[in-house]
Amino acid sequence: MVNSNWEIIHIPGKPSYPPTQQPTVSVFASVIDPKLANTLVRKLNNIAPLENLRHVKRVRKSCVDGKTQLSVILCLTDENGTDLDSMAIDLLELTTCYQLSPFVTQVCKYAAITKEEWEEQGKLWPTSFHPPTYNIDGITGFSEEDSKVVFDYMNFVLKLAKSAGCQLVNAAVIVDPSVNQIITSACDEISSWNVNLDDNEVRSLGTNEASISHSVANGSSSSMFNLDGSPDDPQASCSRISCLNPWQLPPPSSSTSCFWHPLRHAAMVAIEYSASRDRRLYPSMGETDERSIQLDSNGTSTVGFPAKRQKTNLPNVNNTDDPPADRVLSKSERPYLCTGYDIYLAWEPCAMCAMALVHQRVRRIFYAFPNPNAGALGSVYRLQGEKSLNHHYAVFQVKLHDEESMAVTNDGIVK
Amino acid sequence: MGSIESEDSCSTSAFMELAIQEAKNALERLEVPVGCVIVENKKVIASGSNRTNETRNATRHAEMEAIDSLLQQWQQDGLSQSDLAKRFSKCVLYVTCEPCIMCAAALSYVGIKEVYYGCANDKFGGCGSILSLHNTSSEYSNLVEGKGYKCTGGILASEAVSLFQTFYERGNPKAPKPHRTVVQS
Repeated sequence: MVNSNWEIIHIPGKPSYPPTQQPTVSVFASVIDPKLANTLVRKLNNIAPLENLRHVKRVRKSCVDGKTQLSVILCLTDENGTDLDSMAIDLLELTTCYQLSPFVTQVCKYAAITKEEWEEQGKLWPTSFHPPTYNIDGITGFSEEDSKVVFDYMNFVLKLAKSAGCQLVNAAVIVDPSVNQIITSACDEISSWNVNLDDNEVRSLGTNEASISHSVANGSSSSMFNLDGSPDDPQASCSRISCLNPWQLPPPSSSTSCFWHPLRHAAMVAIEYSASRDRRLYPSMGETDERSIQLDSNGTSTVGFPAKRQKTNLPNVNNTDDPPADRVLSKSERPYLCTGYDIYLAWEPCAMCAMALVHQRVRRIFYAFPNPNAGALGSVYRLQGEKSLNHHYAVFQVKLHDEESMAVTNDGIVK
Repeated sequence: MGSIESEDSCSTSAFMELAIQEAKNALERLEVPVGCVIVENKKVIASGSNRTNETRNATRHAEMEAIDSLLQQWQQDGLSQSDLAKRFSKCVLYVTCEPCIMCAAALSYVGIKEVYYGCANDKFGGCGSILSLHNTSSEYSNLVEGKGYKCTGGILASEAVSLFQTFYERGNPKAPKPHRTVVQS
């Protein structure tokens, strides 16, 4: 199995730490008489709620000399020190009243994302653990069948990234996972911008609209790359990969007909192709009413629900453009931008591309190689963790393992 | 000195007025009303306004429209790659709303000289509100060696905001008023 050594890693919205090195904060706690537990917890929740530590349990049960002992968190310690006098007056009163003897201890600052993290947290002070429940497939793991699909598309996009010969480029494939179909694909077009967009559209749609073929997908594209994304072939160059070097002026081209467009990164081009596909397939359905979605999302986050497409009709929208209900392409089937779609990229996108994918409402992003210079999905910035944005996608890295490149090299398939 | 400054601020608001006119054009086409102009040597050389609904491409913000029209124009004039970069480094952008993260990055990639914006964009803003992509001396400067640009906000901000309000009132009278008027730039 070519793909058996690949791994799909969820890149969450906050930095991840090794389970044993999670950030902590200091709190005042005290051993209490179990009979007083209910009263004290009620009072404490009232006068000193643990607003930013909702994952931390207020009471710890431990076993000392065969006897059950209860401790309770009073409050966070002062930033400047652990002096008891820094406690609020009503807390000090409570302490005196119930003859508590506060001590300083550590609790984990962030809620656990994985079971391993949660188990480590409990060694300091018990916390609660709620596995992510967003409605995005894959955050809680991929089935073998789903992984196979992901690997196939990733193979396909890596082949595209290499398709420009020695000059590696970033490549993008937008997929509708509900029907397992490629919507469009694109490569960087920074120095070969074709002004005639119609031409591009025809080409991209003609070659890519069909479902991914296995003869294409099963080749071992990973053989062309090292683990960090550098090409296996020493002749190949990474200098023109858009998202890796977004500020770099490309070397002057010898050909006068060569265009330069510094913003035509693969993801941007793919979004454009998918938009023109949308206009072509659904020409008479009225304008996409982004306003309804934007207003709608003011209070709620629109974590990609594929089924949510265009359900948010405005009451005043003129529906005369809508097709009759019995038409094959009903309005409910028309995608709203890229809602519900996945995008596969060879390299982690830069800030421009990552934000473009927020705007276009992509549901999941898969990339093979991190982008330490300019990556916006974990390397330099982490847009999937920016709470203020009105849409959030799930991000995955599809990682190649050592054994993979070794095995492929031994097979002699390299280059 | 004083007279030069006031002349400058005068031309700043004059260019912003042109950007607002672009935004009004967008409003008439039922687009989110954001507009911009690009100025070189005190002359407007490109303009743009939001076309996200028309194109069904949510990246077609005013800034991207203006940059694309400039690139097309300049390449038709036969400018080389390094000429293009030189020209951008003399250009000033006036836009009615703080550039979003995407546009703020794009402006840095093309190497724009300076940006003036109207109202802040507290959901998506890439020039200080959410990220500071205009500012190379940010906390990421050791990692990102990009081109920074000077950025000044608050130019005719209330006019920009009132366009958004008009848009939402027109677009959906029954919807609750948005918590924030700024949705996109």
